[in-house]
Amino acid sequence: MSTVDPKIRAAINGANDEAKKAGTRPCLMNRRSFLLTGGIATTVVMVGVPGMPEAQTPAAISTYPRKLIARLSELNVDEPFDFEYPDEGFYAESILVRLGQRAGGGIGPDQDVVAFNYTCTHQGGALQGTYQAGDKALGPCPLHLTTFDLTRHGIFISGQAYQSLPQVLLELEGDDIYAVGMFGLIYGRFDNLQG
Amino acid sequence: MSTPYYVPETSVPLPPPEADVIATACDYCVVACGYKVYRWKVAGGRVGGPRAEENAFGEDFPVNPLGAWVAPNMHNIVLHNGEPHHIVIIPDKDTEFVNYTGNSSIRGGALAQKVYNPQTPTRDRLQQPMVRMFGVLMPVTWDFALDIAAEVGNYVLEKHGTNAYGVKTFSYGYMENTYAITKYALRHVRTANFTFHDTPSDVTSTPGFRDAGFDNFGPSYDDWADAETLLMCGTDPYESKTILYTDYIMPAILGGQKAIFLLPRKTAGVAFAEKNGGLCLDIQPGTDLPVVLAIARVIVENGWEDTEWIQNWVNNKWESSSGFGQGTRNTPWQWRTTWGQFQTAGFEDWKAWLLAQDYAIPENAAELAQIDVQKIYTAAEWMAKPRADGSRPKTSVMIEKGFYWSNNTGNTQAISALGITVGAGGRPGQVIGRAGGHQRGGLRGGGYPRNKSPEKLPGRRRRAMDTDRYLMSGHTRLAHVIGTTWVQAMCGSQSLQAKFDELTTRNPHQVDSFEKEDIIATLKKRVDSGGMVVWNQDIYLVDPIGARYADIVFPASGWGEDTFTRANGERRLRLYPKFYDAPGEAKPDWWIIANLAKRMGFEGFDWENSNQVLEEGARHSRGSRKDFNMVLVKARQEGKTLHEKFAEFGTNGIQGPVLMDGDGNLVETKRLHDVARVLPAEGPQGRNVFNKKLTHFNSQTGKCNIQKAPWSLFSSYWEWLKPREDEIWISSGRINERWQSGYDDRRRPYIVQRWPENWIELHPTVAEARGIESGDYVQVYSDRIPVQKDTIVGVEGSDFDFASLLRNGHIELTRASITAVAIVTPAVKENLGYMDFLHTAQPANALAGRVVDWISGNYNYKMGVGKVRKMGESPYKHNFRSMSFARRDIA
Repeated sequence: MSTVDPKIRAAINGANDEAKKAGTRPCLMNRRSFLLTGGIATTVVMVGVPGMPEAQTPAAISTYPRKLIARLSELNVDEPFDFEYPDEGFYAESILVRLGQRAGGGIGPDQDVVAFNYTCTHQGGALQGTYQAGDKALGPCPLHLTTFDLTRHGIFISGQAYQSLPQVLLELEGDDIYAVGMFGLIYGRFDNLQG
Repeated sequence: MSTPYYVPETSVPLPPPEADVIATACDYCVVACGYKVYRWKVAGGRVGGPRAEENAFGEDFPVNPLGAWVAPNMHNIVLHNGEPHHIVIIPDKDTEFVNYTGNSSIRGGALAQKVYNPQTPTRDRLQQPMVRMFGVLMPVTWDFALDIAAEVGNYVLEKHGTNAYGVKTFSYGYMENTYAITKYALRHVRTANFTFHDTPSDVTSTPGFRDAGFDNFGPSYDDWADAETLLMCGTDPYESKTILYTDYIMPAILGGQKAIFLLPRKTAGVAFAEKNGGLCLDIQPGTDLPVVLAIARVIVENGWEDTEWIQNWVNNKWESSSGFGQGTRNTPWQWRTTWGQFQTAGFEDWKAWLLAQDYAIPENAAELAQIDVQKIYTAAEWMAKPRADGSRPKTSVMIEKGFYWSNNTGNTQAISALGITVGAGGRPGQVIGRAGGHQRGGLRGGGYPRNKSPEKLPGRRRRAMDTDRYLMSGHTRLAHVIGTTWVQAMCGSQSLQAKFDELTTRNPHQVDSFEKEDIIATLKKRVDSGGMVVWNQDIYLVDPIGARYADIVFPASGWGEDTFTRANGERRLRLYPKFYDAPGEAKPDWWIIANLAKRMGFEGFDWENSNQVLEEGARHSRGSRKDFNMVLVKARQEGKTLHEKFAEFGTNGIQGPVLMDGDGNLVETKRLHDVARVLPAEGPQGRNVFNKKLTHFNSQTGKCNIQKAPWSLFSSYWEWLKPREDEIWISSGRINERWQSGYDDRRRPYIVQRWPENWIELHPTVAEARGIESGDYVQVYSDRIPVQKDTIVGVEGSDFDFASLLRNGHIELTRASITAVAIVTPAVKENLGYMDFLHTAQPANALAGRVVDWISGNYNYKMGVGKVRKMGESPYKHNFRSMSFARRDIA
């Protein structure tokens, strides 16, 4: 335990072990247990290993709603589907897209279905309608031109964003795609779940 | 260093209403956006809430776009007066200038991650002075380290002369520090072995501007936005002075500004401009001069020049010669004109010269530069063709390092002439200047002793010492290195590094004692044996200058750890207050210098705080572009310190040169060379200085010198250098997300994830021919890196021309090799590989020739050639966590 940076632990479990208090589904519990006993170094290597199932990705917070958003069979490559997550509040609008190529955190048989928040993590510009099929990117943001790589966990390609585009964590159950959590803080909010 | 794997956070503490608020400015690029630091105690567990009355911003969360959002990278925990405090650092939403929309770049947006926090990768900040004993840098007391430094320093000065004491320093690490350093090195040590972080010699960066009479930083940011046509040479401001682009140029382009880039590589700012009707002259490296002169040629052939401006503001034959031929002819701007290569007898003489240059015929220039010739005609039209009603477009010209570090003298002379031709300089929206790199924090505490330099050019011309060549020759016995990487930041860096090895670690006199007297004796023996000792002041241990070569390391404090002052790219002076405790025993550079100087027996270093340093230095700013002496006068009238007075200006700052009117009010300067500005008729009063450049140009008459820019001064180098067989050009520059050597960025997980190591952008045709894909490791190498090895006494006019140097055996060809991660993109010119300019482990400068521009003494950093071959796959090729290989010029 002592090898885990407290800040990272807090990011995973909540500041005061909120995740533990809130109770959670067994798979997430396992994931977290693995994180804290296996040591953070091991875990981040696993995060980076291509081909690992999505469930190995450390969900940062486990108190997110599990929300059905779409059916895999209805998604066409490069045709974004919009949804709201984790609530219907400000800046909740998100993109679900089948990229047609394998992506970090991607689900489905081709690991190519990903979801991201639509609000630029620089100054809050709206990225709706900026999906670039050729580059598998969102942007350029109309405010200050930031672009984000959807194949690589929403990392900026070029520009000014203060963090990666928040990635919506997905789970596939049969043909149903569920949003189950998020990586990264949504623009405008101080806490993803509190607005 | 930081792990490349970064887990983003999903919440952030907000500052409570009672948080302390400190106004400051960004530490990074020349734009220097205004920021606010919010600071509150960790003890008590108090944080702000989402309602306006519950947080220090007075804003309801979620906030609006452009609002006071706090990204997790904007929060940190520091010690302040020994107690843990939260800090949140966000761009100032209330500032009226610079980042007036409350905007910031990615660099400034991550400022909070630069401050020392042992729980973050900043934990390796230097905290104690260290002395190398038994091969290891060991923490010692300040007294122990300074005693050794003072005694060995004095020994070197007495036994080996002042030039044996080399000082290589940052030029911009705040005026309090640069004043102390230059006072020490130039007024007291009086060494000619002195230069700044980005040049081997203490010489002007833009000789052509200097000769024409243009200040580097005359324009105001509003002028760039007010231009109707803007020519940007050797930079995409979006990439390295972001707010200048996003908050000035970008809105101007949307409003109809015609943007022209002269660049071999496209990034987001270029792509946006092109999408909105702009133009990119995508030249191959080093061919700026013929293209610039070809544009000028089209203009004068069509009679589109600004005739009225030229009549009023360009020196004629007699004015060109006035002031010359007198005195010593031993200042750079005087002797450059005596080559007979540059000076003209006025505009018509220049025009006749221009029309006689074959390479300036558009078709020839386009062939040399490998661009579509139509772009030359279009650029000329946009810049100078009068409209149907006879009115002229307001045209401005911006240059930066991609341009002036390609053919330093030639390019800056050519662009000055083009600027003059279109009437750029000194009027709203009609200006010429540098965009800038780092901020402007220089304040000279002493004059450079040029007559002590061994650099003797033909005629009675003495140039500042080439400190790299002097070191290579074994004359530097003590290298005092302050806040700069030195080795990898210079050209031909691998052979330079080999010499450092020889003079330091491979010298037999190595310290194997813990006794102060033994250490001193050993270092003296090394110095006497022809070796070199190294003192290094920095905030982190840099490899190799600190980690391998330094005998003594002095830990420095920086941004936010003492109160400092600095100006930005429009001469706006701001205070950067201390807001947290420096780590360990780290001290500001002025303190380190003062305590060393006192021990060496120098007088005048009895400062108690940084304000006292600046108050002493204020008078040395008089007449300069950031003259703030009258701010001190005003402060004293009001019974305040100079720092207290600067603090009152907050993030708005005050734009220099600062004058005082008859009623005692401080008067700012929006732009230099402001030909419409009316100064008080009775002239300067009291300590006011009305420098000529306030209302005129910085020349012998106050008018511009229009000068020739012969390609032949550079062409022998360019022709020899240009890629042969399977070589390509290797050039380098800044990338938006990474500042300087990445000393902070290497310790930011978010940035390291994006740029874990150096990379090279290759055109698909080059990559395909070599079997290279994005994400492959490649080797970039060459066995013909030219290095000028001898300091010669110039007699004939052509002695320093590259062909002569080569013929006479003064050039040595060296080998170099670095690795990089390939990024295959059509955004670069076909025969160009482009890299980040300063990764300490993979330094692109290794491939650039160590041959100075023979007129100015600057390196042409952007001019390198090499071969590229695939080594294998990098871990980033298939790993989704790090890097991105998507193109950066999506518009």
